[in-house]
Amino acid sequence: MDSEHAKNHLLEFILSGDRNGANALLDEWTGQHSHRSTISDVLEPVLTEIGRRWVSESISLAAGYLAGKIAEDTLMKAHAHEESVPLTRGPVVLGNVEDDYHSLGRKLVGIFLRTSGWRIIDLGNDVPAETFVDEAVKHDARVIAVSAMMFTTARNILKIREEIDRRGLRDRIRLAVGGAVFKIRPELVEEVGGDGTTASALGAPELMDKLWRAADDHHIP
Amino acid sequence: MTITSLDRVLSALQGLKTSRPPFTLTLSLYGAGLTGCPLTEYYRNPERYLEGQDAVIGLVDPDILFAPFALTLEAEAFGSDLVFPPANPPNVKKPAFRHPEDFKHLAVPDVDQSPSLVYLRESVRLLSGKFKGVKPVCAVLTAPVDLPALLMGIDMWVETLLFHESLATDILEKTGRHFITMANTLLSEGADFIALPVMFTHPSLLYRKMIDETILPALHRTFAEIKGPIVFHHGGNPIGNHLKDYLELPQVGAFALDHRDSLEKARAMVGPGRLLLGNLNGPALGRMPLDSVLRKVDQVLTDRQDDPCFIFATSAADIPLDTPPETLVSIASRIRSWPGES
Repeated sequence: MDSEHAKNHLLEFILSGDRNGANALLDEWTGQHSHRSTISDVLEPVLTEIGRRWVSESISLAAGYLAGKIAEDTLMKAHAHEESVPLTRGPVVLGNVEDDYHSLGRKLVGIFLRTSGWRIIDLGNDVPAETFVDEAVKHDARVIAVSAMMFTTARNILKIREEIDRRGLRDRIRLAVGGAVFKIRPELVEEVGGDGTTASALGAPELMDKLWRAADDHHIP
Repeated sequence: MTITSLDRVLSALQGLKTSRPPFTLTLSLYGAGLTGCPLTEYYRNPERYLEGQDAVIGLVDPDILFAPFALTLEAEAFGSDLVFPPANPPNVKKPAFRHPEDFKHLAVPDVDQSPSLVYLRESVRLLSGKFKGVKPVCAVLTAPVDLPALLMGIDMWVETLLFHESLATDILEKTGRHFITMANTLLSEGADFIALPVMFTHPSLLYRKMIDETILPALHRTFAEIKGPIVFHHGGNPIGNHLKDYLELPQVGAFALDHRDSLEKARAMVGPGRLLLGNLNGPALGRMPLDSVLRKVDQVLTDRQDDPCFIFATSAADIPLDTPPETLVSIASRIRSWPGES
């Protein structure tokens, strides 16, 4: 099986909702190659295609979720064999903003960032602004990625913006924002002080690259 | 003889044409704005809710009144924490639980004891007590296939449907039981029908197989036990292309369509006798210039001018509080002055 066939079959498994089929295919590829090859030569390109279809609304939420679970399965196996993608980038501090408990988007962002080699400090749901900034400083993270599903909770992101600014870290720590509400109301990104967003979790690695570089220019080692 | 709103709606149900189509605007929330009632009170005190709907009648006199459109109150009855935003109906702040297995230990709330369910009942009772026989009252409930998402979060519900089929069926049995009890209770309190926004039947959310094998059978089982008509509401997604999926569901007497749906295509799909409601974009009214709003009203009315089984309605969620009242009055006036045959 060449990588083109593997990618096509994996995409078919995801689109038909077959997690076992997808995992068996990836296991077979790993047996013939390596965990690292599975992630970079098969999984990552398929996730990019899933992301493209997600943005064009041509796949279901369940298919996107399944893709995330398959990526998670693959990463865990690679990690167990100490052959995971080297987490050379980051860390990024990730969490749902204060009062927000809708974790689907955050979890998917975490999975796709790890697949792309980012180290993630996942703080979970309902995270106060101070904690986001404390953890970013503690881990020398140059991006805080914060998720909110609803308009009411998205406004709490402004507290993180204010906390970053209050500590004089605006140039050193960038604020990525995301969640369903930002797709409906894109103007919110600016209103809550976000430095960038992405239409889907699959776009998170590209966004982190961009924000990390912007913060890097101002980083004080 | 004066034709009442109820006459007009019953005529539409029977496919009999009246001088103009009946109309309703989703003004459940808007009543709070008209009476200056804080939402924390409006969604807790049935008498304040009734005052709000009295004010709605004073403003536009719709042919159908809404009971509280606050789906999350049911989630609260199951243990979810709510947040009351200043300009929107309550939303779930914290789901009742995070692990689908916990659902097994969850009791179906008592419609006689749970304060939020009692509020819904009492609101229907007051509305019906005042308007029975004159204006139909539409109660709004959470679809049993959507309620788990409010109780455990969308991610956990999708995960359960994907990977734990048997548990998903058990959960749907429980939310179905709640829905049957609640819907029949509200009907017995005087609701004329139950509007049900449904999300988790849509192919944009779920695989086809899940819809066919888990979701639709669950709806079929529960709808069969409802002692009144159900309005199947699009739930935020266009459903015009999927109406065939829902045609055989018991008790579904009408479909409320998304503003992106074609009423003409929907009619072709459901046949001549099924009631259609739609499809002005309610949440967008405040952002649209009045002439655009009225153009859209005219388009809808013209599109359905030969369709007796039609009720003009706004689609999607509640009309926002900041929508100018003049816009709503103009819509109502335009419909009232619409030419037709008696």
